[in-house]
Amino acid sequence: MSLSSGVLQAVSHLLTSCEREAVLGDLTEHGINRWQGIADVLGLYLRHQVGLWKSWRPWLAAFGLAIPSSLTLMGLSVSIAQSGQRWINQNVLNGAQVTLSPGLALLLSNVMLLIAWSFTGAFVMGSISRRTVRISIVLSFVPCAFCLARFRIESLSRLCLLLFMIPAAWGLAHGLRVAHIRLRSAIFLAAMITVLTIPAWTTKGAWLPNWTLSWPAWYLVATTARDKHFLKDHHPWQTN
Amino acid sequence: MVGEFEYVLLTAAATLGDDAYGAAIREQIESTTGRRCSIGALYTTIDRLESKGLLATWMGEATAERGGRAKRMVRLTPQGIRAAKDFYNAIMRVSRKASWAIERRKGVV
Repeated sequence: MSLSSGVLQAVSHLLTSCEREAVLGDLTEHGINRWQGIADVLGLYLRHQVGLWKSWRPWLAAFGLAIPSSLTLMGLSVSIAQSGQRWINQNVLNGAQVTLSPGLALLLSNVMLLIAWSFTGAFVMGSISRRTVRISIVLSFVPCAFCLARFRIESLSRLCLLLFMIPAAWGLAHGLRVAHIRLRSAIFLAAMITVLTIPAWTTKGAWLPNWTLSWPAWYLVATTARDKHFLKDHHPWQTN
Repeated sequence: MVGEFEYVLLTAAATLGDDAYGAAIREQIESTTGRRCSIGALYTTIDRLESKGLLATWMGEATAERGGRAKRMVRLTPQGIRAAKDFYNAIMRVSRKASWAIERRKGVV
């Protein structure tokens, strides 16, 4: 296999299987120069991508979710790692009796928030724009790369910045696969997030990161409720 | 109303009839317009027309000359035929008094 045909085969995988079949067949039938074929395939892929970005959904997923959420969740991840480390040093390593102190309650509340925010944010990111999800993922890594390069806390591993990635990967996988969760689960997540953020409502400046991270949960409630009503009206057998 | 390239594609597909598929439509467009038609323009327009309900596509049979790969067959829907007719009639109406249209009617060309 020549270099050009290898590159053509590789770039053709950017297309869907049916489209790849038709386009490679057309190129063979026309006897088009392989490098020209590569340009044609890349041109088709770029046109598809540009077409996808005509909708508001990829913009919301990339710039309303991926970048601001990863930036904010990294801050929360480090805060949780530091609090956790402090709590372990003070209680577990000193052999003190473990009780539900305000510090531990705050730590647990932050852990639950991190999981819920990461899960719902990534779920919405995956479900609202599946075909541009790779770009959203890359964009969510941009703040991570920036912060990883400038991480200066010696007592913590750099990986602490990425704690949010675990529930986020879980949410993204669900969002890509099922697109919707049950209304009860959506309401539970949104209510839990709202209740857990109540203590921060009086903190000046906290509303912006809170709402940046909380809106996906309420978006899930709104879309799940809307779709449930739609199914009830149009496909009643699917709501059972 | 459909766009210019959409009309050209609909007309090429209608002309080819049952033999309308990607490569054949591309060849038809290039030979009649004298302009290069990129695969990107062809398939994104086919997708757009299909999403508008003006075309129907399906995967056809594979042939040896295509390296054993299947064709993406194309057929105009009744809405597609109506949209192409509307475009053609509009062009004919706006061109009626244009000098080149008058010359063409007189056989000057």
